[in-house]
Amino acid sequence: MCGILAVLGCADTSLAKRSRIIELSRRLRHRGPDWSGIHCYQDCYLAHQRLAIVDPTSGDQPLYNEDKSIVVTVNGEIYNHEELRAKLKSHEFRTGSDCEVIAHLYEEYGEDFVDMLDGMFSFVLLDTRDKSFIAARDAIGITPLYMGWGLDGSIWFASEMKALSDDCERFISFLPGHIYSSKKGELRRWYNPPWYSEQIPSTPYDPLILRKAFEKAVIKRLMTDVPFGVLLSGGLDSSLVAAVASRHLAEAKIARQWGSQLHTFCIGLKGSPDLKAAREVADYLGTVHHEFHFTVQEGIDALEEVIYHIETYDVTTIRASTPMFLMSRKIKSLGVKMVLSGEGSDEIFGGYLYFHKAPNKEEFHLETCRKIKALHLYDCLRANKSTSAWGLEARVPFLDKNFINIAMDIDPEWKMIRHDLGRIEKWVLRNAFDDDKDPYLPKHILYRQKEQFSDGVGYSWIDGLKDHANQHVSDAMLMNASFVYPENTPTTKEAYYYRTIFERFFPKNAARSTVPGGPSVACSTAKAVEWDAAWSKNLDPSGRAALGVHAAAYKDVAPENATAYADSPSVNGFPPTHKDGMIEVAASATAR
Amino acid sequence: MCGILAVLGCSDDSQAKRVRVLELSRRLKHRGPDWSGLHQFGDNFLAHQRLAIIDPASGDQPLYNEDKTIVVTVNGEIYNHEELRKSLANHKFRTGSDCEVIAHLYEEHGEGFVDMLDGIFSFVLLDTRDNSFIAARDAIGITPLYIGWGLDGSVWISSEMKGLNDDCEHFEVFPPGHLYSSKEGGYKRWYNPPWYSEAIPSVPYDPLVLRKAFENAVIKRLMTDVPFGVLLSGGLDSSLVAAVTARHLAGTKAAEQWGTQLHSFCVGLEGSPDLKAAREVANYLGTVHHEFHFTVQDGIDAIEDVIYHIETYDVTTIRASTPMFLMSRKIKSLGVKMVISGEGSDELFGGYLYFHKAPNKEEFHRETCRKIKALHQYDCLRANKATSAWGLEARVPFLDKEFINVAMSIDPEWKLIKPDLARIEKWVLRKAFDDEENPYLPKHILYRQKEQFSDGVGYSWIDGLKAHASEHVTEKMMQNAAHIYPHNTPTTKEAYYYRMIFERFFPQNPARLTVPGGPSVACSTAKAIEWDAQWSGNLDPSGRAALGVHLSAYDHPLPAAIATGNKKTRMVEVPTPELVISS
Repeated sequence: MCGILAVLGCADTSLAKRSRIIELSRRLRHRGPDWSGIHCYQDCYLAHQRLAIVDPTSGDQPLYNEDKSIVVTVNGEIYNHEELRAKLKSHEFRTGSDCEVIAHLYEEYGEDFVDMLDGMFSFVLLDTRDKSFIAARDAIGITPLYMGWGLDGSIWFASEMKALSDDCERFISFLPGHIYSSKKGELRRWYNPPWYSEQIPSTPYDPLILRKAFEKAVIKRLMTDVPFGVLLSGGLDSSLVAAVASRHLAEAKIARQWGSQLHTFCIGLKGSPDLKAAREVADYLGTVHHEFHFTVQEGIDALEEVIYHIETYDVTTIRASTPMFLMSRKIKSLGVKMVLSGEGSDEIFGGYLYFHKAPNKEEFHLETCRKIKALHLYDCLRANKSTSAWGLEARVPFLDKNFINIAMDIDPEWKMIRHDLGRIEKWVLRNAFDDDKDPYLPKHILYRQKEQFSDGVGYSWIDGLKDHANQHVSDAMLMNASFVYPENTPTTKEAYYYRTIFERFFPKNAARSTVPGGPSVACSTAKAVEWDAAWSKNLDPSGRAALGVHAAAYKDVAPENATAYADSPSVNGFPPTHKDGMIEVAASATAR
Repeated sequence: MCGILAVLGCSDDSQAKRVRVLELSRRLKHRGPDWSGLHQFGDNFLAHQRLAIIDPASGDQPLYNEDKTIVVTVNGEIYNHEELRKSLANHKFRTGSDCEVIAHLYEEHGEGFVDMLDGIFSFVLLDTRDNSFIAARDAIGITPLYIGWGLDGSVWISSEMKGLNDDCEHFEVFPPGHLYSSKEGGYKRWYNPPWYSEAIPSVPYDPLVLRKAFENAVIKRLMTDVPFGVLLSGGLDSSLVAAVTARHLAGTKAAEQWGTQLHSFCVGLEGSPDLKAAREVANYLGTVHHEFHFTVQDGIDAIEDVIYHIETYDVTTIRASTPMFLMSRKIKSLGVKMVISGEGSDELFGGYLYFHKAPNKEEFHRETCRKIKALHQYDCLRANKATSAWGLEARVPFLDKEFINVAMSIDPEWKLIKPDLARIEKWVLRKAFDDEENPYLPKHILYRQKEQFSDGVGYSWIDGLKAHASEHVTEKMMQNAAHIYPHNTPTTKEAYYYRMIFERFFPQNPARLTVPGGPSVACSTAKAIEWDAQWSGNLDPSGRAALGVHLSAYDHPLPAAIATGNKKTRMVEVPTPELVISS
């Protein structure tokens, strides 16, 4: 990833302003440790911190069109840049950077080219001919982007909030799939796929089409000139990414430069479920596997830094970001600059356990749509910022534009969890890669259910966080929480603790409004809380019991072959690991 | 390099204190981006930010002895660690880290072990058995180290000033070659080589002994588990480093892992003398050569960052650090973590041009001694901090302990510049590598004189800096300079500009005292100004003329080889700021 910062129309062309912008841009240096650039045109500044993945030697930014009248600063990867270049025959390219096409596409097509880009991106483009500009963010919000307004009439854009929060009177999270045009002075959505309207699709499930679409999504993302690897937790999603990447690595250009053996990475407390599960997959695939161990103390010591980098106070996001943040540092220290990761699958296929309670296929589908639209506030934010903190880039094939179209076009009837038919969560995805002749993964891995919500890194991680928060937050403090924090009031000591750290780094009103809140059960949206009357009545920590009972009651209906549910001894009819997961989830639900 | 921060006896073992120490340690994260560690024992904190060069997989710090009673946080490389390990046969090692020997040596020998270490290092060692600690810094101060005292009775030790300046009532540069022991409550110098007394040595010059010593110094520094290269400006010193490295790379463990082709790096404005000179050497040696170009604007945009990292307001240091800082970022982005560099040769051999005026061999020798002792405030500081800003480690073979001993025991008569005998500056070094049968470098490179004082990166660099400073600093500001900055008063606009930036980052009184000042001519110490009556009479900017006249007058007796076309430009360039700023 890179880091971008643009300040447009600040009515100040002094050297002091230039140094101020350079100083602010340095706050994004972790995102792009390799080089930095600033382009100044009158009172418009475009700054860039670069992580060089494609064309390390010549692709320094900002980038330009032929006569330098169009300047663009981009954080992103444009996977179809070669194809787009081929279309722009009359244009002369200055660099080998995949992002340079943006300047030329604008020249050719005006503001309407954004949907032609296949990839993840946030960019600001300045047209010096009429001093207009546009800014845009990728479809799902895989790359972060914030927008702000200064009292001097300036408009600001930055990859992370920390670069503009001190200098803007107000700022917001830039909506994914949108474009801002200075000519029109407004945000408009450029991303208009069929699923966005939340109509219920009716295409029958075809496993091979889904498989092919995912393979393509992974292959595209092997575009790199530097060493890379795969984040492998041993769960279904990351295991599929690793399986497909290792299968197609040999054909990729990158294999000639860096070898055809795939590197995989996993983190956990010593002896954690993820470490064990990932090792099994790595052994099966024959990857060069790297295991990193952390201690609860190391995680706690990193919390402030994590919150500073991730820019959220959402409890589940912070819990999950911390191990990823620690692992990213280790991965980067090995010289690896890019990793593929499995985010997005749970949203597209309804992989969260609460989807078991979806009342019908319509509700199921609508919830997946809502979850995808919110990804930029949760898992995309985590995956991007935890890795970018150390100059590591995360690519997420499940959020490929074309793959989403195909996966969201399937009649949701197929995605429903149907114990009677032996269909566990994400069954359509599992089944798509269930190839008896040439197996991607062994069956027991393909159909296994793994810990969710950060329990995979080790059960004592979340307990440790809670203990630590308890030492810092007194009952009296929590009692006053709704007065101290009227917006998104923390209801647990853990949430309160994170909130105090967040407020210290980002004290402005606008900052806390960039973080989502509202009722949630086990990562559900507020709407899905309605699925079960007991849930909505139990949004306080006591909801823990309600959810546990419910999920357990549900187990009776499940057939024997419904995988892991039946594998381990259970307390109240529910396997201990899942029960822990559920309990964890419900308790934290209040924070989301 | 790594970054260390230790807070000892702060009478506060709270979580809040831990968080504060973690926060301060993060200010050193650029030095060690690979991992961090914190060991807390009561009210003692030892923090570490690691750059993994040796044993990346297991060497995370702090490091311990067998029963974890001794904890040590180290920034450094111990080149003789394998040999030392052998001498500790009854000790069990936990990691493959070269620095782990420090814990075991202390256990075995107590505080007297420091001189056994061959390498560069700064460390803090905590003995939890009696709650005592020691801190030490390498002989010459190749690694940076600061020490400070808190009002709560705490002692602070940090690789960079920014790790402790906000929390200490007083702080200062930790003197190189010294040890601080909590038991004795003070420093003692552990580094006591023969040259330190500044007595005039009498060993006759033997080119082969000098050559061998340098080759050994380079070979030692090829100890690495990660990709590395050499900084090559094309001048004598860096070219010798590259030539010797290229020659010995094949046999090393590093070559088995990363290939036998040496990578070399050079930075400059487009078309600069250094780029041209370096390319010529790289072609001759057959290295994989990387050239980086920067613009004056790139450099100016980086100045604040450079001053924050280098922690000085010394004009020549900032000028020279900026290109090195920019280059280090590019080098690191290629995946290279360590570079070998040519610092120290000008001090050991009297390579600066003002040495032409040394009145006799005694004065010449004493000036080299003074220059070596001051290295930690100038070139060592620059080389270490400009690279560490990007998690790159610089190793300097000319400052090898053994090599210094050999070079400084030579009768200085041989080092004197004698145009009549065709001995130009650093002749003893050039001659040592003048091998007809198996040449290290072509003769014209071995005997060429290169731009000094940052002119090599391009003549417009310093002009650009001055022009930029003049836009920021008015005549009126200069008039008040002595009142605003009574200590080390800046006398040029450029110096004033740097000083303002420095004061913004490091506003405490002790901070400005860590930077040297005093009169200087072309990088000389204050003492050497006495070598020429006209120098001392011209310490203000008009001294430019005086020095120019003198050196150009001196041109005539020099052999043709010295009086190069560029020389005059260089000569004129040098005096203006150096007269007033550096030492």
